[in-house]
Amino acid sequence: MGPYDLLPRFKAQYDANNQEFSLSGVVRPQAIDELGPSIALLRDAIGRVRGVLYVNVRRLTQMNSAAFHAFSRIIIDACRARPDLKFVVITSSVVGWTSRKFGRLSGIEPNITVEEYDSQFYPGQGFLEEGAFVPILRTQTKMTWRHERAILPRHGMRPGIVMADICCGIGDFAVLVQKEFQPSRIVALDHSMSSLSYARRVMKEFDIRGIEYTYGDASEMLLDEAQFDLVTCRHSLQIFNRPELILKELYRICKPGGRVYITNEKNSHCLGEPRAESIRWTYNEVAKLFRHFEMDVELGPKSRRYLVEAGFEDIHVESFMVTNLDGDPQDFADVIMAWADVYAGEMATRRGDGPEFIARFRQGFQDHIFAALHPKGYAGWPIWVASGQRPQ
Amino acid sequence: MMGAVKFSISEVMAPPGLISTEQGNMPMGPVQYDLRGEPTFEPMIQVDMEIKAFVSAWKHCDYVSTYMARMIGQNRSDSVRHSNLFSSAFNELLEVAFRTRLADGELACRVSRHGATDRIELTFPCLPGERQFYQEALSQVAGFEAKERYLNSVSGDLAPSREIVLLELAVDYNATLWVEEADGDAIKLVVDLPLEGL
Ligand SMILES: C[S@@+](CC[C@H](N)C(=O)[O-])C[C@H]1O[C@@H](n2cnc3c(N)ncnc32)[C@H](O)[C@@H]1O
Repeated sequence: MGPYDLLPRFKAQYDANNQEFSLSGVVRPQAIDELGPSIALLRDAIGRVRGVLYVNVRRLTQMNSAAFHAFSRIIIDACRARPDLKFVVITSSVVGWTSRKFGRLSGIEPNITVEEYDSQFYPGQGFLEEGAFVPILRTQTKMTWRHERAILPRHGMRPGIVMADICCGIGDFAVLVQKEFQPSRIVALDHSMSSLSYARRVMKEFDIRGIEYTYGDASEMLLDEAQFDLVTCRHSLQIFNRPELILKELYRICKPGGRVYITNEKNSHCLGEPRAESIRWTYNEVAKLFRHFEMDVELGPKSRRYLVEAGFEDIHVESFMVTNLDGDPQDFADVIMAWADVYAGEMATRRGDGPEFIARFRQGFQDHIFAALHPKGYAGWPIWVASGQRPQ
Repeated sequence: MMGAVKFSISEVMAPPGLISTEQGNMPMGPVQYDLRGEPTFEPMIQVDMEIKAFVSAWKHCDYVSTYMARMIGQNRSDSVRHSNLFSSAFNELLEVAFRTRLADGELACRVSRHGATDRIELTFPCLPGERQFYQEALSQVAGFEAKERYLNSVSGDLAPSREIVLLELAVDYNATLWVEEADGDAIKLVVDLPLEGL
C-alpha cells in the first residue's frame, strides 16, 4: 500500500470572515457528482457574500478539466446572475498551470480577476529576496561552513542520503554539501528567481551534478511528503513572521525517522572587543529593527521550543561562534559592512529612522569591523544549530 | 500500489538520482536529426498495461500521470515545476484514453524528449468510429479559432467533451497534437509539449 491511497485528495473550505472559498490538493474526479459537497459549499458561499468573493487556489496542485469546468461554470453563472458580485481568483506562481487556466476566466467575465498571490509572503521580503543580499550570503556561508561541516554529521548528514535545502538562496550550501558529503540527491528550493538562476549558472559553470534547484514557496511546497532523509533550512525560519508554518512543511517532506536541521541567529549576541558597548547597543537595535518588520532574528535559542511544538523528537541543539580568527578577518569585516548597508540603509530608512539614530546605529557596525581587523581584537557572530527527528 | 493491476515499465533512461547527471544540459545539448531531417526524440520511459486493467479504476490515470511525471521531471531545469505541469497535461490524455469504448488490448504510454519538448505517444484500443472522431477533433484543434472555441466551451453548459479536453491542451499548454497509425483496432495520439517555455 503506497502513500497514494492514504492521501487526502483535496479539500474545499469557506472562510466567512474573509469571504474566501479555497480549494487545495488534487482534484481529479471521474464524475462531477464526486464534487457535490464542494460545489454546494461554493454555491452557498456565493449566496452569502457581498461585494467580493475570493477564490483561493494557491494550494491547488492538480485539477482535471472536468472539475475545472464544473467550478468555472458556477462562477460564470454567478457573474451573470449577480452583476454586483466580483470574483478574485488567487493563484500561485509556483503551480505553473493555474494562472494560465484560471486566467482565461477573466476573458469570459470582466467581473472575474485573477491574481498571483506570492509577490508578498512576509513583510521583509523586498530587501531580503532580491539582489542586495547575494554578496552577504556568499561570504556568510563560507564562514559558517568551516563550523557546519564538522557539525552536520551529528545531525544526520551522511553520504548517499536524499536531502532538501529549503530557502537555499544562491545554492552555496548545497554545493558545499554535495562536494563534502555526496548525498545521492539534493533538492534545493527558494522563492527568489534571481538567486536560483545564479545557483544554476554556478552549477553549470563548475559542472556540478546532483542538485535540483526548484522555484517554490517554503510554506506551501509542491514536494511530495516523506521523501527526504534530511531537510535543512538555514538562516531562514527567522525571517518569516510565522516560522511554525514553515516547520510544518519541513516536517511533512521529511521521512519518518529522518531529521530537520535549522540554523538561526540571535543578533543581539553579536560581540566584539574593543568597543564592546557600542557594538552591543547596535546589535540590540538590529533585533528591534527586524521585529519592526515582523522578523525574529533572536530566534536561535528558541529553536528547541519550535522543534518540540512541531512534533519532532530526539532534538539536538548546539551553537557555534563565527569569529574574525576563523579565516581571513577581512571576510568577517565584509559581512558586517554588508549588514550595515542593508540594516542602517534601506531598512532603517523604511522604518523612518532619523539621521542621528542612523549615525549611532552605523557606528556600532564600524566598531565591530574595527574589532575584527584589530591585531588584538576579537569579533564574533553566534549561530544556533538545531535538529529534530520526525517520529517513526 | 495498484492492487492486482499489472503493468510494465521500461525505463530507457537511468533511474532517478542518476539522472541528475544530465541535469540542465539536455535542452542545450547537441541536437540529432534523422535522415528525413526530423529532429530525433530520445526515448525516456514507457509504461504498458492491459487496457482492461487500466479502466478498472479511475485513479490509475492519476497514478500513472504522477508516476511518469516524477520520472521524467528529474533532468529538467526545475524538476518539481516540470513534473507538476507534465502530470497535469498527461492526466488529461489518460482520462481521454480511459473513456475508450473498446476495452480490449494494450495501453502504451511512451515519453521521449527533444530539447525543450517532451513527446507523449499514447496508443490505446478504440473502435473505428472513435478513430475518425479523434482525427476530426484534432484537425479542429489545429484551427485558428481554437482558443475561441475553447472559451466558449468553458462558458457553455456541458461537461467538457474529449474534443474540448484536447483543445485545452493546445490552448493552455501550447501542445501540438496529431494522430498516427496504430496496428489493429487502436489509435495513437501524439502530443508535443513545450513545457520548459511555459
Ligand atoms: C536569509 S536568506 C538565507 C539563504 C540561505 N539559506 C543561506 O543561508 O545563505 C533567506 C532566503 O529565503 C528565501 N525565501 C524567502 N521567502 C521564501 C519562501 N516563501 N519560500 C522559499 N524561499 C523563501 C529568500 O529568497 C532567501 O534566499
